[in-house]
Formats: sequence, structure tokens, C-alpha cells
Amino acid sequence: MITSVKVILLALVLSLAAASVVLAAVACDLNDADRDVPRLFRESTSYKVVYVSIGERGGAPLLKRIENRLGSAYLQLYAPIDVPYTLYEIYRNKEKVGYIHGVNQKGQFGGIQIFMAQDLAGKVKSFYIQKISGKSAGKFREAAFVKKFVGISLKDFDSYDPVSGKGSGKIAEIPNPAPEMETDFYGVLRGLKKNLVLMNEFVFTSERGKP
Amino acid sequence: MITPFQIACKNLLRKKVRTCLTLVGIMLSTWVMVSLFGFNEGYEKALNRDIENMGYQLMVMAKGCPYEAATMMLQGGKGLRYMEQSMVNDIIKEPEVEKVTPILMQAYFDPNKGESGGIAGYFGVDPASYPAMKPFFRFRAGGWFHDPAAAEVVMGYEAAELEQREVGDLTLVPEKNVQLKVVGILERTGTQDDGTIFVPLKKLQQIAGTDKITTVGIKVKKDADMAKLETKLYQLKDVQVVSFSQVKQTILKLIATARVMVLSIAIVAILIAMVGVINTVLMSVLERVQEIGILKTMGAMPGDIFLLVWTETLIICSVGGIAGIGFALLFARVTDILVRRILPYAPGGGLVAINARMSLLTLGTIVAVGLLSGLYPAWRAGRVRPLESIRREG
Repeated sequence: MITSVKVILLALVLSLAAASVVLAAVACDLNDADRDVPRLFRESTSYKVVYVSIGERGGAPLLKRIENRLGSAYLQLYAPIDVPYTLYEIYRNKEKVGYIHGVNQKGQFGGIQIFMAQDLAGKVKSFYIQKISGKSAGKFREAAFVKKFVGISLKDFDSYDPVSGKGSGKIAEIPNPAPEMETDFYGVLRGLKKNLVLMNEFVFTSERGKP
Repeated sequence: MITPFQIACKNLLRKKVRTCLTLVGIMLSTWVMVSLFGFNEGYEKALNRDIENMGYQLMVMAKGCPYEAATMMLQGGKGLRYMEQSMVNDIIKEPEVEKVTPILMQAYFDPNKGESGGIAGYFGVDPASYPAMKPFFRFRAGGWFHDPAAAEVVMGYEAAELEQREVGDLTLVPEKNVQLKVVGILERTGTQDDGTIFVPLKKLQQIAGTDKITTVGIKVKKDADMAKLETKLYQLKDVQVVSFSQVKQTILKLIATARVMVLSIAIVAILIAMVGVINTVLMSVLERVQEIGILKTMGAMPGDIFLLVWTETLIICSVGGIAGIGFALLFARVTDILVRRILPYAPGGGLVAINARMSLLTLGTIVAVGLLSGLYPAWRAGRVRPLESIRREG
């Protein structure tokens, strides 16, 4: 059945080959969006995948602005300007209720993939580390640790620097669940900040600008 | 003096919408046909290129497990079958063999990959023989291992990108918790090597706690009898021989079904377009019966009228055909990306290769079929009786 569907689709593709936007490389995708979206956003009934790139949204000036806001080489984007970021728009029935977005961040033994679900005000609703490497990496994926990020917003990073690990407020109070993996703990925090900054630039800043 | 070509053009331009719609029909059929021919040629070329890039044409592996890689993914390496490394010495003795390289594939379960864990695969290669099998490998940074048993890895382009690794960074083998240092990152090859993590064979054997291997890659001498070598290799104890030419044939057989399906659709599209041509030209003839009658009274012979109507068909088919080829060329990359998403297996590189020969062949086919379609309307036009047609009420 699936094969015949594929064959029909192939035929349609060859016959129409519409000039739709096709994206070759994507920065950070959920492995199984149909399963992961309802898990991260309980009230969701559907979602829409949107691709945004820094190149498209504002080009070099936007890249510079994002880099300035990230403020450190430790928070590098690890992606060229034209790489599309996958943004999941979340809907409850026909109403948009939030977003899910993920970023890659360098860890000690491998890449860390950090996803967060945000409501329309930009607050973190849930947090998910899709991939992390290390002996005690599982501790970063435990529910108790993940829960500590609920309610955080970009504003919380005004009083905390995830590069030096110094500051105060909600984020400073989050304990490292695996002290032997300090690099990855700060990697997670840096990834979260990067994710919030990107979402702020891609979504919330432009939505505020709307009449 | 006005030529039959100019008259035909003027006639077609009288009913612009009808002519345009007919042109679109022909253009779409040509587009499908050229893309299909391009896919036929491009897919096989890309597959050949992928197989050549493997570096070896034959693989010998332990019997009972012909699809090591698949088993590795499904069973997390638990189902791997091993063979003695001394097998390499037996194989190299064969006169048809140019080079051999022992390989150990290993997979470890990483519980922190995805929602319910995933498999991390490692490719243990012999630093003395493997690089010679892949002379086309280029390093983006670093190079091959410093020592045959070094705790080092060389990463394919995509593997390094996914793991965010640079030369000098560390990586950890899950389950075993062994740290390895990244010493080289390859340039993109467009093959499965891009996602591979290479480890020195001895080191991976040490990690896996075995002195055995899973595979022997064999490069066959030029003009050697591959079938004869395969027969000889089957005489070795408990081995399975996988020839990439067999793999290629199997993949091509799978793709053939899709090709037949698409070809059928292309033929139906062409038939529909041709019915459109007959309809357009016939309508145009019937609308101009009186004009044709006048032309005949002025001395035009049935052959002249036939030629005039046929020229209209020729113009429609040629313009539609050329536009279709243009679109196929223009959107070849888009078609390539979409096809790649749909196919269960797509080799690296371009899948749609459109060349001048196939474009001309398609154009010739479209024009020939179009001219055949134009025969009836042209014949009807040639048979118009002058006085009868002039007498008809307009």
C-alpha cells in the first residue's frame, strides 16, 4: 500500500514538479513530530511545520544582531546563514497556541539537541533534550530536571550568564543534575538561551511589530 | 508574399486561449517525459557512482547474515556474525583480487538519543589498507589515525555536523564509555560515508572485546572474472558473498516498477495532449471551412490546405515540446529533491540527468505523434469542397 502511494506520489511529482520550496538541510528537527508534539504540547490538536532562516528573515544584519545578543563564541549558531530552522507552530483546533523549536549546541562528547515548547507569550511550557552524549547524560533528560525550566523566558537570562555560569534568578537556582558533566550542563543552558533568542527574533519580535 | 508558416501562426493566434491551453497540455507531457528519461539515466548513473565510491566491488561476510548493516540497526549489534581475520589472507591469494581490507562493524545502544534511545554505529577500518580503497576521500580537517590502535576517530561530514565535532574534540562510545579523540573530518562525499564514524580496527576490536571481523572488502582487478571469483569465495567456510553488481540489479528492479508506472502515466498524458491537439486543429478547421473554400477557389490545391493545417500542428507541438524541455531543465533540481524524498533508497548526486540526446528524442517523439494527430484535421481540411463551403451559412 505504502509503495503504491509512493509510486503515485512519484508520478505526481514528475508530472507536476511544482516549484514548491524544498529545503535540503534543516538545523534541528524532532525525530518523530507526530509523537513528540502532543507530548511537549499537551493541548495541541495539530501542528504546522514552518521553515525560517536568518538569511530570509533579515540576512547579515539579523545574524549580527543575534550574535550580539548571544554574546559569546560558546553560543555559536553552528549553522550557515541560509540553513532553515524548523519551527513547529502548535494549534488547538484552529487557534494557534504556541511553538516548538530546537537548536544544536556543542557538548563535551557530542551535539546536544535542545527543544522547547513556548506559549504565545514566549514562556517555556516544556523542555526536551532529544540528544546528549555522556556517561550520566540521562540525568539531563529526567523529568525532575526538565520541569525546572517550565515558566522560564528570555528575560530570565538578563540576570544570568550561561557562559560564565554567574548570575542570579530562576536559572541560577537550577542545580546541575550531573556535576561530572559540567560542560554539558552549561551547554544545555547556553542552548536554551540560544533557542530563546532565536525564537524572539524569528517570531516574537516580528509579531510585536504587526499592527 | 505571405508564407504558409505565417498564415498558420496567424490562425493559431486568432484563438489565443485555446492555443495556449493546447500548448500547456503538450508542455506538461513533454516535461513529464523528459524528467522521466532524465530520472532513468540519472538514477543508474548515481547508483553506479555510489557503488564505485564504495571502493570495493565485493564484500565477504559471515554466513547467515547477508545484511550486516540492517541487522546491526535492528538488533543493536547483538545479531552480528563474525569471522576470523585470517580470512583476509585466504582471499588475497586469489589471482583476481587486487586489494582487500578487513572491516569490523559495531553498534551500541545510546539511551540518550531520541525519545527511546537509538543506535550509534562504528566502522572499524584498517589504517594500512582502507584509505587505499578510498583514494577520493578528502579531509576537511585533520587526517587519518596516528596509530593502528589509537583511541581516535575520523568522522564523515554529516556525522561531524550532527555531533558538532571538530578536530581535537572528544567523543564517547555509548555502552562502553570509551573516549575517542576526533583526528579527522572528511569532506562531503554524497555517500553513506558522510554519516560514518571510522575507528582504527584494532581499537574497535579492543572496545568490542573480539579479535574477529564482520566484513572483508575486496577490490577486484580490472578485467578479472568477477563471477569466477565469487564462486571461489563461496568455497571459503561459512561465508556469504555480496556483490555490488547484484545489489545494484536488485535496487534497479525495485525502481523499475516505479518507472513503468510513471511511464504509463506519461503515455496517458501524451495521449490526452494529442487529443487536445486534434480537437484544437479540427475546431480551427471547422470554423474556417468557408475560408478554406475561398482559398480553393483561388487555386489552392488540397495538398496546400493539408500542408497549411499540418504546419499549425507542427508549430503547436514544437513550441509546447520546447517549453516542456525548458521547464524540465529548469526544475530538474526541484524534481531531484522531491523524488529523493519519496524514493526508499536514493543514491547520492543528481538523480535527474537531462542531456541533449534525450531532449531531442522527446521533442522528436512529441512532434511525430503530434503530426500524426494532425493528419485527420488536415485531411478534412483538404477535402473541403469549395462551392459547398462558400454556400454554407456562416
